[in-house]
Amino acid sequence: MFELGTFIVSIITFLILFYFIQRYGFRPFAKVLRARYDYVTLQVTDAEQSRAQAQKFLDEQRQLLDETRHQVKDMLDAARVRADEQGREILAQAQEESARLLEENRELIERERAEMLSAVMQSVSSLTVELSEKLLRRHLAQEAHDEMVKEAEKILGELVC
Amino acid sequence: MPAFPYLLYTFHGGLFKINITTIGMMIFTGLVVLVFLRIAARGLDVRKPTKIQNLVEWVADFTANMARDTMPSERVVQWIMPLAFTMLVYLFVANWLGVIATVALSVHTPIPWLGLTAANLAAGHNDVPLFDSPTANMSMTLGMAAMVWLLSHFVGWRHPKHYLRHYLNPMALIEEITNPLTHGMRLFGNIFAGEALISVLLGIPMLFHFIPIRLPLLLIWLFYSGFVSTIQAYVFTILMTLYVGQKYHVTDVRH
Repeated sequence: MFELGTFIVSIITFLILFYFIQRYGFRPFAKVLRARYDYVTLQVTDAEQSRAQAQKFLDEQRQLLDETRHQVKDMLDAARVRADEQGREILAQAQEESARLLEENRELIERERAEMLSAVMQSVSSLTVELSEKLLRRHLAQEAHDEMVKEAEKILGELVC
Repeated sequence: MPAFPYLLYTFHGGLFKINITTIGMMIFTGLVVLVFLRIAARGLDVRKPTKIQNLVEWVADFTANMARDTMPSERVVQWIMPLAFTMLVYLFVANWLGVIATVALSVHTPIPWLGLTAANLAAGHNDVPLFDSPTANMSMTLGMAAMVWLLSHFVGWRHPKHYLRHYLNPMALIEEITNPLTHGMRLFGNIFAGEALISVLLGIPMLFHFIPIRLPLLLIWLFYSGFVSTIQAYVFTILMTLYVGQKYHVTDVRH
C-alpha cells in the first residue's frame, strides 16, 4: 500500500545513491568515452586533412606532369619541324651541288671533245695533204699540184672553221 | 500482503511509515551497482577496453541512443546521460534481485515498534520479507516517478512561456496526473506480479501427489520474470527521457 514515509525516503535515498553512482561509477566511463570520442574525432580530422593534402599534392603532380608532357610535345614538334626544314635544305643544297657538278663536267667534256675533234681534224687534214702531196707529186706538175693543194687547204679551212 | 518491517514516525500528528526492507534493498542495490561499476572501472583504457569495460560502455551507448531517440538535442542527451545510465543499471539490478532471490523471515512474535503488530503478521501469514526487489514496492516506484515528474517540470520552467502555453490544452493537465502515476505503477505492477506469482508457484503441490509440475512452471516464470525485469528497467528509463525531453524547450537546441 502507498506509504508517504517510504515514498519520501525512497526519493531521498535514490538521489543520494544517484550522486554516488554517477560520481564514482559513471564518471570514469564518461571520461573514457569522451576521451575516445575526442581521440577518434582528432584521428578523423587528421586523416581528412592528410587526405586533402595528399589530393592537393596529387593534383599538383598531375598538373606538373601535364605541363611537362605539353612542353615535351611542343619541343618534339619544334624539333621535328626544324629537322624537316634542315633536311629539306640539305637536300636542296645537295641537289644544287650535284646539278652544278653535272653541268661543270658536261662543259668539261664538251670542251675536251671540241679540242679532240679539232686536233683530229688537224691531223686528218695534214695527213690528207701529205698523202695528196705524195700522190700528186708522183703524177702531176708542180703548178697543178700547188693549185690543188691551195684548193684543198681552202676546203679544209672551210671545214675546220 | 506480507508484513513489512517499518520505521514509524509521528510528525505534526501524522504517522509516517518507512519500509525498512525497501529502503535497505535500495541501498543494497546501489551498493551492488557501485561495486560492479568500480570493478568494471579497473584498468580503464581508451585504446584497449577490457571485456567488462566494453559491456558498461555498451550500456552507456545504449542509454545515449535511447535518449537521442526521445530528446530534442544532443546537449540535453549529454545532460541526462548520468541519470539515465544510473537509472537503467540501478533498476535493472533492482528488478533482477527479486527474481534471483526473496528472503522472508517467519515471525510469530509481534514487534510493535517495527510496525509488526499481531494483526499485520496475521495478514501477512507471519512472513516478514528481508530481501526483495525494492521496485516491488508501490511507494518506491511512485517516488521515482514523482522525482522524474519534478525534474521534467524544473526543466520546463527554464522557458516559462513555452511551458505555460502547453497547458492551454486541458488534456495536458490530465496527462500530468496520469503520466507519473502510470510511470510508477507500471514498474511496480510488473515486478510485484512477478514476485507474487513466484511465491504462488512455489506453493504448488505435486500433481497426483507425484508429478512435480512446480519446477517447469517456476523455470518458465523465472525466465519470463527476468525478461520483464529487463524490459521494465528499459521502459522506465526511456519514459524518463521522454518526459524530460518533452518539457525541454527546443530553442535550447544548439548544433
